[in-house]
Amino acid sequence: MVKKMGLGEGDIQVGDALPDFDLNVTSTVIVAGAIASRDFMPAHHDKDYAQGQGAPDVFMNILTTNGYVSRFVTDWAGPEAMIRKISIRLGGPAIPGQPLRFRGEVLEKDVQEEECVISVSVHAANDLGNHATGTVTLSLPV
Amino acid sequence: MGSEERDEVRESLEKYIGQPMGPGSEAPEDVNGPMIRHWVDALDDQNPVYSDPEVAQESRFGGVVAPPAMLQTWTMPRPRIEGIAERGGAPTEMSGENVVSALDKAGYVGTLATNSELEFERYLRPGDRLHLTNELESISARKKTGLGLGYFVTWITTYLDANDQVVGKQLFRIFKFDPATMGGAG
Repeated sequence: MVKKMGLGEGDIQVGDALPDFDLNVTSTVIVAGAIASRDFMPAHHDKDYAQGQGAPDVFMNILTTNGYVSRFVTDWAGPEAMIRKISIRLGGPAIPGQPLRFRGEVLEKDVQEEECVISVSVHAANDLGNHATGTVTLSLPV
Repeated sequence: MGSEERDEVRESLEKYIGQPMGPGSEAPEDVNGPMIRHWVDALDDQNPVYSDPEVAQESRFGGVVAPPAMLQTWTMPRPRIEGIAERGGAPTEMSGENVVSALDKAGYVGTLATNSELEFERYLRPGDRLHLTNELESISARKKTGLGLGYFVTWITTYLDANDQVVGKQLFRIFKFDPATMGGAG
């Protein structure tokens, strides 16, 4: 008997809110994500370069944004969740000193033979406005 | 500018639709544990299927898997750091013309990423070796936005494993605009 890890299909209902996640965005968070994703674009680590491009500061790369969206969802759904799709519309930048607030809600749940497919709305915003808005589709074994 | 007027820039871009955005690319290394751990530490992602072999073994994945959002990371080219700022952040020298360089040349030098859609067929495991192909999916008609006049450019990258099986796809859309037309001029 494998011990149950994370949420099961029966624990999830349409309309459920995901636990709030507030990310304290610092230069270190942005640089760590950029380099871990092998993205050496200077706007993600060099403030002077970013400002020369018209940005207020270094800003998070899209790979890292997708990584945090994925983490936000699996922190809630648990290790048995398999992310199938991350679809986001990109808005304002995530920059140091502006906490990024992740919020989400279960939109759909479709119990199939071998797995349950769930779609979740995800919204990440800071004081500048929306940073990433979209939908994550995941599956859980049943 | 009337909408009936010919848009010669847009017409000149038609040839790129359905074509590769650039050369295909081979991952410089296999999906591997050290890079996975670097990522999960950087993002403080404590999902044990990425880093705890015992828990991962008991999970539906049957072993350690890579975080799905790392998909693009595996095929990022090894960067040449010297001159990267002068190349606008491109990790290596870009050769040949594509839709982005053509739009730059036509004055649409601004770039804003607007959409990303990642799809995963399966999770990757250490030892997987990826390569990619990409294709320009569409170019919009010229649009007027708060940033100025420009075009939405959408391409799709397909990631394949060593057996040429698709492991994931990414749709990416950018807005290429002429900053000089901000505020409705032009």
